[in-house]
Amino acid sequence: MDLRASEVTSILEKEIENYQGESDMRSVGTVLSVGDGVSRVWGLEDCMMNELLEFPGGVRGVALNLEEDNVGCVLLGNASKVKEGDTVRTTGRIISVPTGPSLLGRVVNALGDPVDGRGPLSVTEADYLPIEQPAPSVVERQPVDTPLQTGIKAIDAMIPIGRGQRELIIGDRQTGKTALLTDTIISQKNTGGGDPDNPEQVICIYVAMGQKQSTVVDVVQKLEAQGAMPYTIVVSASAMDEASMQYLAAYAGATMGERFRDEGRDVVIMYDDLYKQALAYRQVMLLLRRPPGREAFPGDVFNLHSRLLERAARLADNAPEINPRFKKGGGSLTALPVVETQEGDVSAYIPTNVISITDGQIFLESNLFNAGVRPAVNAGISVSRVGGAAQIPAMKKIAGGLRLDLATYRELQAFAQFGSDLDKATQKVLTRGEKLVEILKQGQYVPMKVEDQIMVIYAGTSGGLDDLATSKVPAFEKAFLAHMQDNYPDVGTTIREEKKVSDEVKKLLDEALAAVKPQFA
Amino acid sequence: MSTTRVDGVTRRYAGALFELAFARGALDAVQADVERLGRELSSPAIGAYLFDTRVPHAERRSKLEPVLAGMHQLMQNFVGLLFDKRREAVLLNLSAAFHERRLLLDRAAEGVVESAVPLGEAELSKLAAALSRVMDKTLHLENRVTPDLIAGVRVVADNRMIDFSARGRLDGLRRTMLSSPLPSAASSA
Ligand SMILES: Nc1ncnc2c1ncn2[C@@H]1O[C@H](COP(=O)(O)OP(=O)(O)OP(=O)(O)O)[C@@H](O)[C@H]1O
Ligand SMILES: [Mg+2]
Repeated sequence: MDLRASEVTSILEKEIENYQGESDMRSVGTVLSVGDGVSRVWGLEDCMMNELLEFPGGVRGVALNLEEDNVGCVLLGNASKVKEGDTVRTTGRIISVPTGPSLLGRVVNALGDPVDGRGPLSVTEADYLPIEQPAPSVVERQPVDTPLQTGIKAIDAMIPIGRGQRELIIGDRQTGKTALLTDTIISQKNTGGGDPDNPEQVICIYVAMGQKQSTVVDVVQKLEAQGAMPYTIVVSASAMDEASMQYLAAYAGATMGERFRDEGRDVVIMYDDLYKQALAYRQVMLLLRRPPGREAFPGDVFNLHSRLLERAARLADNAPEINPRFKKGGGSLTALPVVETQEGDVSAYIPTNVISITDGQIFLESNLFNAGVRPAVNAGISVSRVGGAAQIPAMKKIAGGLRLDLATYRELQAFAQFGSDLDKATQKVLTRGEKLVEILKQGQYVPMKVEDQIMVIYAGTSGGLDDLATSKVPAFEKAFLAHMQDNYPDVGTTIREEKKVSDEVKKLLDEALAAVKPQFA
Repeated sequence: MSTTRVDGVTRRYAGALFELAFARGALDAVQADVERLGRELSSPAIGAYLFDTRVPHAERRSKLEPVLAGMHQLMQNFVGLLFDKRREAVLLNLSAAFHERRLLLDRAAEGVVESAVPLGEAELSKLAAALSRVMDKTLHLENRVTPDLIAGVRVVADNRMIDFSARGRLDGLRRTMLSSPLPSAASSA
C-alpha cells in the first residue's frame, strides 16, 4: 500500500481543526535510568502524584517522586522491557482499581486484577476508582455506636470494637494475629446470613501484604470452607510481588471498601500487616533515593499510615447532602490494622506511629500464647477507646464485672506466688480468676454469637463455676450452651432483642447452671 | 530540536543572565556571545582542559580569558561569577539553556514530527502552522522518518506528544481491549 504524504497531511489538517484540546495532548518524558523496578524519567512536566504512566511495550508505572527536573516512578509489570531513552507518557489518570459487588468472593492483586483463576471481573469504566481518596470530613461522620462483633469472647466482652472504628492488633510473630482476623470475618456471617445482597451483611476485605503465599492460600481456603468468601474480598500482594504492589495494596483495598461504605453498607477491612507494608514502602523509597529518616524509613511513613487509617469512618446519615460522592449515608468502614512487633517492642517506630493513629489496641502476647491462653489477648493493657459506646447494654453490664474480677485476679496472682497461706477471700478471687481465664479461651473458627457469649460469661462472673475443676470448664461450656439451646431456646433471642439480662433470664440461667454442673462434678 | 537536558542550576544561572541582557537591550549580543562560547567549549582543546579538575582552578580560568576578550561586559562578569562560585560546569549547557529561554520569550517551540514516510517542505510547514494554532506557539518542526508508525504522524514538541499515527491508534486499541470490561458490561466503556 502506498501512503502518500500529502494525503496524510490533509487528513491531519482536518484532525487538527477538530482537535479536542489539552486532553489529547499528553505530557511526555524520557527514561533516564531504570533498574530494581524503579525508573527516573526526565520531562513529564505536569505529571501528578500517583499518576499512571505509560512506557513502551504496554508497561505501566506510577509516579511517586516529583522532583524539579525528573520524576521517580515504580514500574508495574515487566521492567525488563523498559530501557534508557524510551518515551514515557502521562495518562492523566491516578492509579485506580475496580470496585463493586463483582469483586466479592474474589482474590485480586493490588491493581484489582483477579489472581484466583476464575476469569475476569464484570465491571465497567465507572467502577474504577482512584486508590487514594480523601477521608470523610468531620461533618460527614457520626460517632461510632454499633458493635462489630468479632465473635471472640475476650474481645467482644472487654475490648469491644464499634463499626467505623480503627482498632490495632499488635503482637509478635505467631501470636494468632491472622487467626483473630479470619475469625472476625467468619463471625460476620451472623450479621446477614452470609448473603452479600442482604443490606445487613457486613462486607469483609482482607488485605495481605508481604505475607507468605502459603499463608494467603491458607486463609482463603479456611474462609471458603467456612462459607465466608461470598461476602469477602481478598487483596493479595504477597512477599514475592514487587514491593510497590505490597504497599499499594492497602490503598486499593480501602478504595474497594469505601465503595460499599459510600453505598450505605457496613464494611470491615483488615490490613495484615502494616509493618511489612512500611518495609515495602521503605524499599521503594530508598530505591528512589528519598532521604531516609529514623530506622531508615522515609520521613512520610507516618503519613503513609495515617492517611490510610483516616479513611475508616462511620458516615453521617445526611452525608449525601453534604457531599454527593456519598450515595447513601450511615455506612461504615472499620479498619483492623495489624502490626507485627519484634520481641514485644511496642516502642519501636512503626508500632508507636500506628498506636497513635488508632482508636485502641489489642495486645497479643507470646508468653500467653505459649501458656495456652488463646487468643493470647492481654486484656490488662488492651484498650478500645470508642467501642464501649457500641457495646450492647447486656454485654456491658456482664463484662464490667469480668474486667474487674480479672484485674484483681492478676494483682493477687503475683502475691500468691510468694505466700502459701492464703486467706479465704484471696483464695476465692484466685479460683474465680482461673475460671474466667478459662472461659475466655477460644479455639479457631468457632466465633460465638453475642448472646452465647453473655450466657457463658454470666456463668463465670456469677460464681457458678467456682466449684468446678478448671480443666472441665471447656467441656462444661459446650454442654451448658447445648442445654440452653435445647431447653430454653428463647433465652438467646430475648437477650439479643432486649439487649439486657433481666432477672427472669438470670433465674433461667442459674437453673441451667445447676442442671448441667453435676455431670462435671 | 535540542535534546540537551538542562539541569536546574544551569537553568537558574542562564535565566538570570537572560533577564539582565533583556533588560539592558543586549539580548542579541549576549546570545551571540553565549553561542560562540558554546562552540569554543566544544572544541577539545579548551573543553577538555576547562573541566579537568586536575588542572588548578586559576589556570583554567586564565585559559578562558582570550576567548572572553571582546565579549559583552555582562558575559565577562557572568563567567567571572561562575568561576568564583565554582560553578563553571554551568557553561556546559549554557547555550542550550539560553536557547530555551529565547524560545519562551518568542512564544516558540521546537519539535519533531515523526512520520512513516518523509514529509516534504510544504507539508511540514502546513503542519507546523496548524499545530502552532493549537498550541498557541510558533512551532519549528523537524522531520524524522519512523517506519514503525505505519502511517500518519506523531509530533513531540514542548514536552508534549500528539499522536496521529496508525501505530498510536493500534496501541490505544490494544490497551482498550486489554483493560475493557466483559462484553456484557462494555456499553459504557
Ligand atoms: N485461638 C486459637 N486456638 C488455637 N490455635 C490458634 C489460635 N489462634 C491461632 N492459633 C494457631 O497459632 C498459629 C499462629 O497463628 P497465626 O498465623 O494467626 O499467627 P500470626 O500472629 O498471624 O503469625 P505470623 O506472625 O506468622 O503472621 C497458627 O498455627 C494458628 O492455627
Ligand atoms: Mg499472620
